[in-house]
Amino acid sequence: MDTLLLARLQFATTTSIHFLFVVVTLGLVTLLVGMQTAWVLTGNPKWERLTRYWGQLYVINYVLGIATGLVMEFQFGLNWSGLSRYVGNVFGAPLAIETLVAFFLESTFLGMWIFGWHRLGKGVHLALLWGVAITAYASAFWIMVANSWLQNPVGYEVRDGIAHLTDFGALLTNPSLGMALGHVVSAALLVGGMLMAAVSAGHLIRRTPDFALFRTSLRIGLITAALAITMVQGFGFAQFGPVGSVQPTKFGGDNPESRALIAEWTTRFGPGDYTPPALASVGLGFMILIGFTLGCVWLLLPLLYRDWIIRLRFPLWLILLGLPLPFVAVILGWISREVGRQPWVAYGLLRTEQAVSPVSAPLMLTSLIGFSLLLGTLAVTNWVLLARHARRGAADPALGRPPAPPSEPAHPEPALI
Amino acid sequence: MDLAWYAVLGLFFASYLVLAGYDYGVGLLLSRGVGPAGRRETLTALGPFFLGNEVWLVATAGILFGAFPLLEGELLAGCYPVVVGALVGVILVTVGVQLRSRPSSERSRARWDRVVMIGSALAALGWGALLAALLQGVPLRTDGHVAGVTHLATPFAAAAGIAMVTVIAVHGATFLTLRLSAGAAAEAGRTARRLVPVALTAVAVATVVGLLSARVRDAVQRPAVAVLLPVLLVAALLAARAALARQRPGWAVVATGAALALPVVLVGAALWPYVLVSTTDPDASLRVADAAASAPTLRLLGWVALPLLPALLGFQAMCWWVFRGRTDGRAPVYW
Repeated sequence: MDTLLLARLQFATTTSIHFLFVVVTLGLVTLLVGMQTAWVLTGNPKWERLTRYWGQLYVINYVLGIATGLVMEFQFGLNWSGLSRYVGNVFGAPLAIETLVAFFLESTFLGMWIFGWHRLGKGVHLALLWGVAITAYASAFWIMVANSWLQNPVGYEVRDGIAHLTDFGALLTNPSLGMALGHVVSAALLVGGMLMAAVSAGHLIRRTPDFALFRTSLRIGLITAALAITMVQGFGFAQFGPVGSVQPTKFGGDNPESRALIAEWTTRFGPGDYTPPALASVGLGFMILIGFTLGCVWLLLPLLYRDWIIRLRFPLWLILLGLPLPFVAVILGWISREVGRQPWVAYGLLRTEQAVSPVSAPLMLTSLIGFSLLLGTLAVTNWVLLARHARRGAADPALGRPPAPPSEPAHPEPALI
Repeated sequence: MDLAWYAVLGLFFASYLVLAGYDYGVGLLLSRGVGPAGRRETLTALGPFFLGNEVWLVATAGILFGAFPLLEGELLAGCYPVVVGALVGVILVTVGVQLRSRPSSERSRARWDRVVMIGSALAALGWGALLAALLQGVPLRTDGHVAGVTHLATPFAAAAGIAMVTVIAVHGATFLTLRLSAGAAAEAGRTARRLVPVALTAVAVATVVGLLSARVRDAVQRPAVAVLLPVLLVAALLAARAALARQRPGWAVVATGAALALPVVLVGAALWPYVLVSTTDPDASLRVADAAASAPTLRLLGWVALPLLPALLGFQAMCWWVFRGRTDGRAPVYW
């Protein structure tokens, strides 16, 4: 196997695992903001318990998001040094902004939020969670700016074979960006809503003690999922227009635009295979199928009346068994977006084979096996822990547990100097 | 403009080593036989700071990619095994610390703690060896690529990695004297003072190996700065020991923190105006100015990111201020 294929496999593996965790992060944090805000506004302890329970699951899930995100960030330099060499001037900027403006603050706020229960004022504590959520969305925005640039490079000029930034505004108004961002964000809300509904359904099926609590989160999750799936479908279909005009070869098919583009590429870059693998359009097809299936969530909403959804029980099983579907769909969607970009790493500008680092194949293979095993093991461990904590219920999550009664002075003197 | 960004890059990497350095130091010290309750108390000392420390590495990599794309590609790909080693270490620590208390059995927790120890050692070794790799030069060819990875396997890289592990262990122990409750802090202080001679020895060994290495002598552009590095490291470690003996844990942490920040600053200064010095062809060496992104990118990053620096530092400072003081029975426990 050659270095290029190994590097692509490694990127696909890492990104897929990363994506499975970050969509949950983005979806759950939105719902958590709602719950904690409701707690601060109403003072109803039910909202505090919901925030602690779902907050704990959110925090466990967050761990793998960071770990895989770190690998992603370093992988650009490790495996794709050509990317930074030829297009780093443009592509690097949104990534740098993402780390500084978004992720840096997100994690700092989250640390204070986890340890701030019973220590900070309620308003400050809530503001921290809002900070986590806003920076998480900012993060999604900047990552999608960077990704959209790879789909449709804009705002640059090539001098001496290297792309230089000419118009940053063009990156922000990239036709590949708007609908795709809406699509990803609503997919995250769908995943968050489905996860919340499914975990709650599990508790209601087992008739665990916290009926009222899980009834509430079932309703929140289901309504979120229903609204989100409609947005997912809307933003999804709205992408066909822009994608068709800027990336006509993406989903295969024989149309005049893609024939013209391939002819242009052949004159500029020489003859070659410029059609992406069929995986892109196959992935798209299955994703759309899952998208329509999940649209049936709307059929469950009338059953919320008088708790028929819980009394009938089989809808709960449907929700529980449906949980893997949105996860499969987000992976398929990502595959179709990224594989559809091939053979380019930056569409029509830089070929994937030009971007791969000049690293030997055995080294790349070791790295692929090593990171896949490491991240795969950690991901499975993380899901097992998530499932156990989800199952354990909301009796006493470690997150936000009140401290033991004071035996020492409550506010010790600062020890510095 | 590129000098300013080079300074910002250095600031972030140095801050990362200082802040995450005590995470890794504390991780290494989980092996000191304090029992399950002691280990939990040790991690509670990291508590709210842990998540805010690692972000400095992410930001460093972000600045590297945005402001020095050429360096990013060649440095990371050219030092592949060392970077991967450090990265695996960082991942093990970040996952281990955050997940170790989620299982309730002490056996699983002890297993996770071992993961944290191994990760801390790997991270420290990796970053130490990476700094050494910069100092001993890389086989950069005229086509701009680094040839192979065997250039990393030198006694100097190994010695520098080990020295980094020992300095980080001292830093972690010193941090614990600042954070733990009085009794446990005194014990950590004794550990720190016992570790200082070990760190001094490791630094001395790395210095001798470095002085004997022709590659290091050739690559260093300013020998005076390079010689200053071990001198200041020794001074910082001795200052930390003195501060610990006088019960001044705050000053001791400042001193060990300086011992972790200094290598970044002085390695950068010793190689200036280069950032990657070629061992094979002097003309292939990469200057900081050539490694930087082109002017419009740096200007943009300057407009977007630099005004936010005070906010980033401010929120970090808020975290340190809110959770200052020693951990006691009322400290929030989560890790």
